[in-house]
Amino acid sequence: MIDFLNYLINGALVGLLYALIAMGFVVIYRASKVFNIAQGELVVFGGFMVWWMIVQAGLPMAVGIPLAFVAAIAFGLAIEKIFFSRLVGESVFSMVMVTIGLLILIRGLVLVLFGPAVRPFPIIFPLKPIILGDILIPRSLLFGGLITIATGLGLSWFFNATRTGLRMTAVAEDHQVALSLGISVKRSIAFAWALGATLSTLGAIIFLSGKSLNFLASDIGLAALPVALLAGFESIAGVLLAGLIVGIVQGLVTAYVDPAVGGAVGSVFPFLIMLAILFIRPTGMFGWKTIERV
Amino acid sequence: MAYASIFRLLAGSALALGAATGGAHAQASYAIASIADFTGPYADIMKDLAGSRRATVDWWNEEVGKGLGVKVTIKDYDGRYDAAQIASLWPGIKAELNPVVILGTGGPDVAALQGRLPGEKVPMIMATAGYGFAWKPDPWIFNPRPTYGHEAGAFYEWYRAQRNIQGPLKVAVISSEASPAYVDIHKGVEKYAKDHPTKAELVEIVYTDVQPTDLTTQVSRLVRKGAQVINIQTNTAAVVATKRALQALGKTDIPIMMSSHNGLLTSGKATGGLKELEGDYEVYGMAVPTDEKTGPHDFQQKLVSKYKAQIGWTVATVMGLNQTLVALRAIEAAAKKTGADKVTGEAVRAAILSQPIATEQTFGILPNLAYTNEAPFPTSGLTVNIATVKNGKYTIVADKAPVPKIDKW
Repeated sequence: MIDFLNYLINGALVGLLYALIAMGFVVIYRASKVFNIAQGELVVFGGFMVWWMIVQAGLPMAVGIPLAFVAAIAFGLAIEKIFFSRLVGESVFSMVMVTIGLLILIRGLVLVLFGPAVRPFPIIFPLKPIILGDILIPRSLLFGGLITIATGLGLSWFFNATRTGLRMTAVAEDHQVALSLGISVKRSIAFAWALGATLSTLGAIIFLSGKSLNFLASDIGLAALPVALLAGFESIAGVLLAGLIVGIVQGLVTAYVDPAVGGAVGSVFPFLIMLAILFIRPTGMFGWKTIERV
Repeated sequence: MAYASIFRLLAGSALALGAATGGAHAQASYAIASIADFTGPYADIMKDLAGSRRATVDWWNEEVGKGLGVKVTIKDYDGRYDAAQIASLWPGIKAELNPVVILGTGGPDVAALQGRLPGEKVPMIMATAGYGFAWKPDPWIFNPRPTYGHEAGAFYEWYRAQRNIQGPLKVAVISSEASPAYVDIHKGVEKYAKDHPTKAELVEIVYTDVQPTDLTTQVSRLVRKGAQVINIQTNTAAVVATKRALQALGKTDIPIMMSSHNGLLTSGKATGGLKELEGDYEVYGMAVPTDEKTGPHDFQQKLVSKYKAQIGWTVATVMGLNQTLVALRAIEAAAKKTGADKVTGEAVRAAILSQPIATEQTFGILPNLAYTNEAPFPTSGLTVNIATVKNGKYTIVADKAPVPKIDKW
């Protein structure tokens, strides 16, 4: 029973980490209708910014982390300015193709700027877990989970209850219509990319605290994809629930099925969920249902 | 006068032609294809690995090849540690270079080429330990080291004797299914434990991602199951995550055993310093690159000072040196046997199988190697070296520990 509780809690916290990364997908999608395949690369870039500020430049965390966020936001804005501001009104397909190019570009950029070596990521959260009897709760994941919930609820409120958030939603609906209503599409998309880069950097801090960093850390983007699909690409609060579901299921399968079958079923299982969702309900659990006039 | 000029011109041309053809006879040229990973998971060690390959070829051309009338050229190809990439590169490599031998990087090279090389008649030399999935007779791919399972088994036996452990050593494995080589590694350890139940007991294999999120829960479970050693022969990220989990749990008495490609130096850098891995171990069947003055270290120093090699003294360097020396010694033996101008891939393979390579020929980087037609690696007489971090210093603790017998899996 204790083991089960450990796996359950750990799975839920890992799921919340996935949810935080998945929020990056959702925020960019909600504001621009762009499915950003390069989300994992943004995590790596944000991670390297934190590493550079704290380890390389030797800045104290209180200075280095905010500066890393500033650098990541600038990077997000640069991506929007260089690539996506020119694509306003273009097809979704074109934008997705650009994100594929972006994935390759950022990976190359990271290799050129920081090299392929594995770097020690600073210990942001204390290593010692919280121990409640026989239950172990890793602090980085616990604090990360709390930050994720607060961020998710905050963003949900932002998109549903503020004028800026609602404007971004209008942009996601249709660029031309948004323009005709006097909404600055470019500004909305720029804001979305800045937000996406911020969330990715936050995800990198929680994911990598005390561990190691190189360009392969971008795999976390792939792990978060089933969460975004399960929730539906428009629902930020839904991402929290989907993250919990995927994380718990993955944790339990890893604990109980993997040793029995002698294989890593746990890492495949989220993708089985993703495929099932695409078959049964392509818009995800909380995705918008669109009605098209024919 | 005009006739004299024409005569001089013709005579000069004939001399030049003679010199050119004579020169070609004097030094036959052969190519080595060097498969590297400049943009994949092992890109971080490629500067030293590929650099040491090139430097060893320079040394051999100057100090051995000249006397034999053989010149070897080497060209790098980025296989990205990806079997599909390597399979797609190979026809181009064959057409462009027509190599007499290939230097491989890891499991994906073996998976991609093991079916093709017998038909193409080109042998491949690896730097890594062997793989169970490639453990077949009539090999065209050769490892200078036994399988990872063998190397781990050698460590378990040495560690058990050192600690005077009476029952079987309780071993936990942290692995991944991200690569066929990783799967093969833990299958080898499983096989060792099955074949030697009095010496090792496998308490659990934990499967993780290539970049694990957090392993505290899993490592806590291994601790509760009584693991005495944690075996990680996959990658650096897994070592760092496991070390952090052990630190979080306050466990300092369970060592991590690593391999060459994720050893103490690389994993130490990624963890924040070598001192973080105090009491952990690395094991492999080749020289350990400590600061001590040894034959292998002298050879590396020679490559740096005389052949301007830009390489450090690292495990990756030792890997590059080991495979290139085996390849060049085989070319050397083939040239002596068949004649300098008749070296082919087939002749190089025949030389590997028939001509043992003495440890002196590799400057002590490898033990004596005697390949047979039974396996891609020598099945007897192999040894491993074991290193640890002692008082913050990278130290060799066992030299030439014997490799145990394991049946095929």
